[in-house]
Amino acid sequence: MSGSKGSARLSGALLKPLLDSVDCVLFDCDGVIWRGDQVIPGAAEVINLLKKNGKRVFFLTNNSSKTRRMYAEKMATMGFSVAPEEVFGTAYCCAAYLSTVCQLQGSKVYLLGSAAMGQELEAVGVRHTGLGPDHITGSQSDWANVPLDPEVKAVVVGFDQHFSYMKLNRAMQYLTQQGCLFVGTNRDTRLPLEGGKIVPGTGCILQAVETAAQRQAQTVGKPNHYMFDCVASQYGLDRARCLMVGDRLDTDILLGSNCGLKTLLTLTGVSTVADVEAHEQSGCPERRKMVPDYYVDSVADLLPALQG
Amino acid sequence: MAGAFGFKSCQKIRGPQIRNLLEAKDFFLFDCDGVIWHGENAISGAAEVVNSLTRHGKNVVFVTNNCTRPRENYVHKFSRLGFTDVMLEQIFSSSYCSALYLRDFVQVSGQVFVMGCDGLRRELEEAGIPCVEEADDPGATIYDCALAPDVKAVLVGHDDKLTFLKLAKASCYLKNPECLFLATDTDPWHPLSSGRILPGSGSLTAALEVASGRKATVIGKPSRFMFECISSQFSGVDPAQCLMVGDRLETDMLFGSNCGLDTMLTLTGVSQIEEAQEYRNSELTTNHSLVPNYVVDTIADFLPALEELEEEGN
Repeated sequence: MSGSKGSARLSGALLKPLLDSVDCVLFDCDGVIWRGDQVIPGAAEVINLLKKNGKRVFFLTNNSSKTRRMYAEKMATMGFSVAPEEVFGTAYCCAAYLSTVCQLQGSKVYLLGSAAMGQELEAVGVRHTGLGPDHITGSQSDWANVPLDPEVKAVVVGFDQHFSYMKLNRAMQYLTQQGCLFVGTNRDTRLPLEGGKIVPGTGCILQAVETAAQRQAQTVGKPNHYMFDCVASQYGLDRARCLMVGDRLDTDILLGSNCGLKTLLTLTGVSTVADVEAHEQSGCPERRKMVPDYYVDSVADLLPALQG
Repeated sequence: MAGAFGFKSCQKIRGPQIRNLLEAKDFFLFDCDGVIWHGENAISGAAEVVNSLTRHGKNVVFVTNNCTRPRENYVHKFSRLGFTDVMLEQIFSSSYCSALYLRDFVQVSGQVFVMGCDGLRRELEEAGIPCVEEADDPGATIYDCALAPDVKAVLVGHDDKLTFLKLAKASCYLKNPECLFLATDTDPWHPLSSGRILPGSGSLTAALEVASGRKATVIGKPSRFMFECISSQFSGVDPAQCLMVGDRLETDMLFGSNCGLDTMLTLTGVSQIEEAQEYRNSELTTNHSLVPNYVVDTIADFLPALEELEEEGN
């Protein structure tokens, strides 16, 4: 289990025993199997070979801007053979959370998010309002008195490129109502983006709403265990025989630790070996949970054990 | 007088105690919203209090985190509401002080990216500080938009025209560690006169802190900077001679405490006396700085003492 010993580079003799010790491999997407629209070389082969070798493969991503169907389509264009049911994005998991845990099937939510989030909500019978652009008009007093839909039972926050002051205002107004639930997809601070530009992540939008409303949201995405629970409940997994592969110590690896999975860090994304060492040497139990069991330069490093 | 060992009584005072205070202090700092007025309505008796203090030769200044209006607007508002002769120089808003910070304290060279409303931009422009033009194409996204060169500071205030693109641009400018990160204030929400609330600058600042991984330098209360602006202008201000009067524990009382001033909470605004008592009883000693020395129901409670002083003067 992560944190109980130091992290080891996964190579040579360690590869096959690790793969033999697991029946199921869960992959993060951004920074692991692709970067933006570029597939990581060898990644498709790894996924396809794992499946050929009888392993179950799932994808866990905090990115809420695609439905599982959209992810499967993107993966198909990159050469992966993946079914939508194998993909667990936060749009899908958030909808599952709202319908099963919050029991909002048939109810309505105020949604700061993408069309994909809207679709996943509709698929489980949760109605929504608020998608799309929303700019201020009128006076301050109009904004403070925006009409609130009495059917709204929760404010749901995901990645919303149309985020605006008015949307922040509406979300806050709903949240001041007794009994209104508050759910967010994830706290990632930035979207991965090449070319030097920074794109603020859902974490920023969520922080704005939490500060205005002076309330904390319940988040669904990694490192919260809910996403793993979604997979496990549908597929009957044995945690001790699962491997979580990710590029971020504070989401992917921490999720793995929290759920008792084996963990593998790939260095094609956010976290570095220096980050691992810093957590290892920190002496802080919470930080030790972010130390992966193993690390590789890229998922392609698994190929030798799969091709033999 | 501060309580023994720094313990603040947080007691309501009246009559003779107020009189003693008025005699002991010669510099009065008032917050505006919830203290002097609610929206367009002056708090009953507030104008008489301010006018009377001024007649008595006391210094009176107004210290507000509200960054949406230029100071000239406040001068007109005071006049409209019956306050005699309140001058521009008595008004310290977080937008005016942000301009002072940029112009005099850091002497910024280069442009400032402002996430705020016209009132804030005007204060900067009046101080001769160039602001990046807001001219985004409707279809522009962070992936394809141009970034202005030479941005030396990002200033976040109350921005009702906030968009995701502005948040993204600000994050990009803040990648440069030489680019300053300033916030007019950290108020998470602010009340309107109706009692309803709106998201404050604090919520936008928090979002940008998450995106940039940096902490903003705060100009407004509870940061000390506005008191430094006041001291600069009224040279020789002795904190011991000052009384900070406000309605919000987390901004006004903490501001007063940070600047070494005695503090008075008036109950016509945001904070309730029970909240002050909770901070007083808190095990966290940092919370004690939010506890006021004195409490009044309204600043109109000064009137009997002021009238007495007036009569004795005649």
